[in-house]
Amino acid sequence: MRALGPQSVSSFLKIALDVVYVSTVGVSAIVGPSIVALLIATPFTHSPLSFRLSGQIWVSPFSNPTLIGLLIGVETYVVCLVVVLNRIRRIVETLVMGDPFRPENVGRLRWIGAGLIVLECATDGLRWLLAHVPQSHPSPRAGESWFNPTAWFAVLVVFVLAEVFREGARLRQEAELTI
Amino acid sequence: MTIRIRLDRMLFERRMSLSELADRVGVTAANLSILKTGRARAIRLSTLEALCAALDCQPGDLLEFTPGRIEDLSDFDS
Repeated sequence: MRALGPQSVSSFLKIALDVVYVSTVGVSAIVGPSIVALLIATPFTHSPLSFRLSGQIWVSPFSNPTLIGLLIGVETYVVCLVVVLNRIRRIVETLVMGDPFRPENVGRLRWIGAGLIVLECATDGLRWLLAHVPQSHPSPRAGESWFNPTAWFAVLVVFVLAEVFREGARLRQEAELTI
Repeated sequence: MTIRIRLDRMLFERRMSLSELADRVGVTAANLSILKTGRARAIRLSTLEALCAALDCQPGDLLEFTPGRIEDLSDFDS
């Protein structure tokens, strides 16, 4: 199977990315209004949110401000994921067209690198919050180390790839304008 | 570009149209137009050879150097 062009590996990857992108947009569309609803409906006090479901009372392990902070962190994470996924979709589109070395892909890769930085910082922030906020049922992951060298290495690789694509786009244009 | 291909002058002297030259050389008229208007980045020796054969001239008759600012090739920051 070919790597580039229609009905290639790239086209199947694009379909998978489209599905993931739509799902992520759906999650973002649910979490965002939930934050707004929580801000409006719940008094801004330290008493935890509770609700009755199937005859049982469920009590949030976090206070309301902490829960809102966590939801904002999750929404930031999901929105960044949407931005990164959209850029990746656009790059894979150029792969399907068989012409990946376009100047627009350089900017898209840089946006992906920036998005990954925000995602990693949001993840570290959420882990810190879970580790330092008092809970009735402490999270089993609360004591884990935050720093993930693999993720930061991936960010570096993406920025290096952007420079590779910049040079590729320049060579492509030179080849186009060589008669 | 500071080096230009003076196709228009040679076409006039040989009483030939751009499309006729394109047929003889085996290059599309659009690409010859890129050469003529100075937008080309480079020319293959095989193309230059074909142009000289079709126009019955020397490479020096086609190439013209104008002293000036040399373009910066690294202009792909987006």
